[in-house]
Amino acid sequence: MFSSLMLVSLLVLTLPIMSSIFNTHKNSTFPHHVKNTISYAFITSLIPTMMFIHSGQETIISNWHWMTMQTLKLSLSFKLDYFSMIFVPVALFVTWSIMEFSLWYMHSDPYITRFFKYLLTFLITMMILVTANNLFQLFIGWEGVGIMSFLLIGWWYGRTDANTAALQAILYNRIGDIGFIMAMAWFLFNTNTWDLQQIFMLDPNLTNLPLLGLLLAATGKSAQFGLHPWLPSAMEGPTPVSALLHSSTMVVAGVFLLIRFHPLMENNKTIQSLTLCLGAITTLFTAICALTQNDIKKIIAFSTSSQLGLMIVTIGINQPYLAFLHICTHAFFKAMLFMCSGSIIHSLNDEQDIRKMGGLFNAMPFTTTSLIIGSLALTGMPFLTGFYSKDLIIETANTSYTNAWALLMTLIATSLTAVYSTRIIFFALLGQPRFLPLTLINENNPFLINSIKRLLIGSIFAGFFISNNIYPTTVPEMTMPTYMKLTALAVTILGFTLALELSLMTHNLKLEHSTSVFKFSNLLGYYPTIMHRLPPLANLSMSQKSASLLLDSIWLENILPKSISQFQMKTSILISTQKGQIKLYFLSFLITLTLSMLLFNLHE
Amino acid sequence: MLKIIIPTIMLMPLTWLSKKNMIWINTTTYSLLISLISLSLLNQPSNNSLNFSLMFFSDPLSAPLLVLTTWLLPLMLMASQHHLSKEPLTRKKLYITMLTMLQTFLIMTFTATELISFYILFEATLVPTLIIITRWGNQTERLNAGLYFLFYTLMGSLPLLVALISIQNLTGSLNFLLIQYWNQALPDSWSNIFLWLACMMAFMVKMPLYGLHLWLPKAHVEAPIAGSMVLAAILLKLGGYGMLRITTMLNPQTSFMAYPFLMLSLWGMIMTSSICLRQTDLKSLIAYSSVSHMALVIVAVLIQTPWSYMGATALMIAHGLTSSMLFCLANSNYERTHSRTMILARGLQTLLPLMAAWWLLASLTNLALPPSINLIGELFVVMSSFSWSNITIILMGANITITALYSLYMLITTQRGKYTHHINSIKPSFTRENALMALHMTPLLLLSLNPKIILGFTY
Repeated sequence: MFSSLMLVSLLVLTLPIMSSIFNTHKNSTFPHHVKNTISYAFITSLIPTMMFIHSGQETIISNWHWMTMQTLKLSLSFKLDYFSMIFVPVALFVTWSIMEFSLWYMHSDPYITRFFKYLLTFLITMMILVTANNLFQLFIGWEGVGIMSFLLIGWWYGRTDANTAALQAILYNRIGDIGFIMAMAWFLFNTNTWDLQQIFMLDPNLTNLPLLGLLLAATGKSAQFGLHPWLPSAMEGPTPVSALLHSSTMVVAGVFLLIRFHPLMENNKTIQSLTLCLGAITTLFTAICALTQNDIKKIIAFSTSSQLGLMIVTIGINQPYLAFLHICTHAFFKAMLFMCSGSIIHSLNDEQDIRKMGGLFNAMPFTTTSLIIGSLALTGMPFLTGFYSKDLIIETANTSYTNAWALLMTLIATSLTAVYSTRIIFFALLGQPRFLPLTLINENNPFLINSIKRLLIGSIFAGFFISNNIYPTTVPEMTMPTYMKLTALAVTILGFTLALELSLMTHNLKLEHSTSVFKFSNLLGYYPTIMHRLPPLANLSMSQKSASLLLDSIWLENILPKSISQFQMKTSILISTQKGQIKLYFLSFLITLTLSMLLFNLHE
Repeated sequence: MLKIIIPTIMLMPLTWLSKKNMIWINTTTYSLLISLISLSLLNQPSNNSLNFSLMFFSDPLSAPLLVLTTWLLPLMLMASQHHLSKEPLTRKKLYITMLTMLQTFLIMTFTATELISFYILFEATLVPTLIIITRWGNQTERLNAGLYFLFYTLMGSLPLLVALISIQNLTGSLNFLLIQYWNQALPDSWSNIFLWLACMMAFMVKMPLYGLHLWLPKAHVEAPIAGSMVLAAILLKLGGYGMLRITTMLNPQTSFMAYPFLMLSLWGMIMTSSICLRQTDLKSLIAYSSVSHMALVIVAVLIQTPWSYMGATALMIAHGLTSSMLFCLANSNYERTHSRTMILARGLQTLLPLMAAWWLLASLTNLALPPSINLIGELFVVMSSFSWSNITIILMGANITITALYSLYMLITTQRGKYTHHINSIKPSFTRENALMALHMTPLLLLSLNPKIILGFTY
């Protein structure tokens, strides 16, 4: 009952794709069909989730035997444990809302059917990733979401920026994939299995190498520092794509992977400190980058990146359940933030610059409400969704024996979260309108309202429900001094007040000379400037000059074919000049003949 | 085996006796039927090989390659129709005859039991290929390409003949079926090192090994579409097949002789895939990508573990179908824009959306998207090279990344972006072309459901 219902809800998702193969004439209703299907899948998946919460029974199902190679058995196998059972309904719920939102956002797109098919395929690959029980199946989902993100970022394929961003996403993801493949190879070599439960049961020693690989994979997929620039660039895609892939589902895949492999990580201190530092650097760096951006989607993208860093920090302090909790709660309000920004962007005729917004408080009351609630949830305002995960994370980090620098960076980043949230609210919603007066603003579309409303309710209550059902396996600290308990709140409030004061104060001031701090933040820490120019230039000129021109066209040509033909040409010219010395020729024949007779007749 | 060979030979009279408007239909249908017969070989009921006679046998290694060969002939015929539409009837018939002849030789090469007959047929495949390249290529450079193709392969394989004769003298037999049981270690001496080189070089040139690969881009670029298809899909695999067969008798020399070639391949695959990043010529890009993929096969064969053999076999089949499909796609562009330059055919997705879907699928299989058989091949090779030496993962990983990059670069350049004005009035894609792509894609997809039939003899 439990597992079959879960499989039903996964199978339901494939129905629209199957049906679209057979009847192509009902194109106009296809998007609605997809949306309804996802809502059915969501409702179906709720039943097994409830049963799971009630009984706490983890299940592994093996369905279809794919092949057995030597000693390795590969079969279609699903792992229905706490993480997948909670994440599936959350992802389906968020996707349902985003699908409905896309009906409004993409309604004028001639290829809306294809867009929905892409989104649905993405959702299926994400479900494969989440429920996979062996590494190969996980890899299918892992690569699948990568490719779907390529296709969806490059949705407006006429634009160069979109194509570059799509390629960039694939490039960074692929670098991460090297780590994944290395981990697969290591596990195959050392544990002779790709099944998760077998790997954990064998609990191999010296797991630095595979865990480093997995960390690299997570760095690529979850846009951690070093491989982060693709996430803000991915905002070239349509807003529903940003809401679904680049905030709530695909980008958390890396964190999810680390959570999955937590049984191996919890005993490996080296990897944990690395994870912690990586997460802390990411969360601070991207929060700094978010401060000075003017593109509303970019700000939210950097904030996503920063939150992903926070999740990685949580894994670094050995609290995978909290990281998972943050994944779930983050999905609600971040998807909603993107949808709100989509609503604003669409209403202002594709204007994304927050400096050209302002005063939307009056024009778009519903969007404003949602945006503010979403921002507050993001900053961890008490009793909104974000509070239940974020506050716990900060508290646990505060009370754990951990790297003080990493902790400090995380705290600063938390404070900066409030700062950039205030900035969005201040510039986009408050003050005087700065957009063109003839813009037709209308947010009264049921698709828009309903979808945002659903996530709005989620952003208020979801954290409470999910955090109540979390397992007390790795116990968070129960008692702590008051000042530690209040740290998270204090830094957030500090961020809010500072940002508000600064914004009010400097609103009418002109920035004469941009300071180096400003430049650092605005140019994303000079990272793209350096990394997107020097290494590609070096690589491409290497491949052109040394690989293609020097080696292939000159050296390899000259060493073998050209020199031989030259040699043949020279000798034939030399020899073919007839001198008419018939006696000499015969003599040379005679010598050869005699020599060969002498040499080869000796061994009889 | 005669039930495949004789029908294939009978394709030639069929071609010459067919009516003018029936030559393509007759030959395509007939060769498709032959390929259906050959499918039964994929069922290898026992661990031993299927012996048909003293001359021919098939085992799990040769069967998939054989099926690929027979499968490709109808595809080549379908692909060449437009290319030959302006030619007189006799030349069309001659062309089909050449393809059929090549097919016959290839079938016999893959099923030969004797190394000498394998060698002779291996060389015999050069003749029809050479004629196809130099007669039906599009530019004058085709003559140069033909020279390169012929001389590289011949020079590489002549020492093999000497080596084979010497082995025949030593052991008294060159039968593949007997060699398996012979398995005697070669004594460690200088002459045996040369024996190893002589045996391997022929196939290394054919594969091609980096450094000896110059003939391949030239031949691929200059050949007509059917030539490119068969070169990429099957002729390169002759090298891999030969290496897999002959390494069994070259122990223990392989264990230390392999190092320089392994290094060269690992290095070469990075170099060639970097070259792909800078190619402007579509066919040349696909050709270099073949070199880079085949380097993986060389690595796999030289590592000599069961997993690497599985990976090599799977990768050969997967790459055969994928690269052939890419060449077909490149050709469909060429027939419309009359240029191989990528930038002249950009933005085609707007005009030919279905073709763009095929491009996407072909690029994705080329970059080894799971769960395609390309991934299975590459993954197994990476696994075995990782267990051979952990450091190779850096090179392999770099190659995987660059492969993804150039595949998608190719996709983006040809399909995405704004289309140029001179392709406003191009022809729509024909059903023939779509069918052609579908016939490439279907086996790839179906094989991912059950990859074990192409995993070779170590499965």
